[in-house]
Amino acid sequence: MTNILDDYALVSPLRYRNNWLKIAIVMFGVLVGVSSQSFIPPFAIALCMSFATVHFGKTSFKFYLTLLSAPAVFVLLSVVIIAFFFGSGNELLGFDIFSYHLGVNTGGLEMALLVFSRTLGGMSCLFFLSLTTPMVELFSVLKATRLPDSFIEISMMMYRYIFVFLEVAWGIKYAQTVRLGYKDWRTSLTSLAMLSTTLFIRSWEQGEKIFISMSARCYDGKLIFFEEKRPIRANELVLTCTYFAVVLALWYLTRFYSIF
Amino acid sequence: MHIFEGFLPSPWWQLWFVFSIPIIFFGMYRLNKLVSEKRELLPLLAVAGAFIFVLSSLKMPSVTGSSSHPTGTGMAAILFGPAVTAVLSTIVLLYQAIFIAHGGLTTLGANVASMGIIGPVFAYVIYKAGMKANINFYVVVFLATAFADWATYVVTATQLALAFPAEVGGVAASLKAFLLIFATTQVPLAIMEGALTALIFKYVIQVKSDALVELKVITESALNKIKGAGQ
Repeated sequence: MTNILDDYALVSPLRYRNNWLKIAIVMFGVLVGVSSQSFIPPFAIALCMSFATVHFGKTSFKFYLTLLSAPAVFVLLSVVIIAFFFGSGNELLGFDIFSYHLGVNTGGLEMALLVFSRTLGGMSCLFFLSLTTPMVELFSVLKATRLPDSFIEISMMMYRYIFVFLEVAWGIKYAQTVRLGYKDWRTSLTSLAMLSTTLFIRSWEQGEKIFISMSARCYDGKLIFFEEKRPIRANELVLTCTYFAVVLALWYLTRFYSIF
Repeated sequence: MHIFEGFLPSPWWQLWFVFSIPIIFFGMYRLNKLVSEKRELLPLLAVAGAFIFVLSSLKMPSVTGSSSHPTGTGMAAILFGPAVTAVLSTIVLLYQAIFIAHGGLTTLGANVASMGIIGPVFAYVIYKAGMKANINFYVVVFLATAFADWATYVVTATQLALAFPAEVGGVAASLKAFLLIFATTQVPLAIMEGALTALIFKYVIQVKSDALVELKVITESALNKIKGAGQ
């Protein structure tokens, strides 16, 4: 099953840094990465964010690499399609399949490289956020967005119940597996359907129970959390500003740069 | 099918946000109204969202060997209607981007459009039409979920093709390429998810059919008919 990165974020030393600073860093990386015209700034962002996650955030490097390879299938497939179908210029590589000519040209290759680097940069920014900031810390940010209360309440309760249900799902799945519930394709389907049904019924009953128990504790549609104040430190600010400046400079310098 | 962070270039990711945001806000408005009328719905919707998240993180047995996950949004649309599903899937997609790094922040608009809005709308319309036409309940559920997945897959391919049109043949040519390549995983996946959802509904009807009546998924008389046929 999936790795919930929140578990890693809870023990990260960067957890106790200012949330707004971290979000600013991530949003900056994502936006500059997606708007850059050359593959260099996104790669630089990826490098910096990976360094920050592994070095400052104390994530194991091996684990980080396995995480980065997760979206690889989708990204590589799509990048290959882009390389073959997009762009113009000199043809670099070409072959015929069933009298249909396929070729990669310089424009396509450059576009594919750009998209690949953007995805890498964006993913490393997201991983930085998910590996250093547990969702609990982000609720205060969510509250500051002034979205409707019901929306925020639902997201917070949903967060809590994701872990409850994941545990239930894991337990059932193990129990089914040791009873050969996943021995072949047909039994897997039945087992999975049973698991999901139990989960649905469990969640339904839990929903009814939690309403009663919360009403008994005077729930009026608003959960209130304690928010810790974490001022931004001077060295963090300096480091962040240097990072912003370097990336922006790279972005400016490589505006018209192309490898071909 | 998630589009990953940074994949959509500049005019496109903003455009998909422009498409999704009004619908999400409409969904929030509906949700607010529902919750203020019936306050006990709030925790229920929260656990429903958590259920969708967990369902979408379960691995499905797959024919092609690649790992595939159910989206769960077709089922949510049948249970809660498309407006509420749009809001729930927005939260789920946001959590997926932050927890398990599936999807992304700039591509959130595009992902919500394909998985949270268009797919569920297809599921809902097919489900309602099928129930009205008096087709077998499980067949309708199967069709609704499978077509929701296919709609999602076609929309995702279109989003990618619009952003990256081919030099020869334009959008149509690259759409064909994206559709063909993703078909290998998406076509069997949709059939699997349809079968899985139909099976889930079968068990739910056996064990806790009053929940479905309460959610107005199915009327009492239709339920009795299904139960009668099963015995």
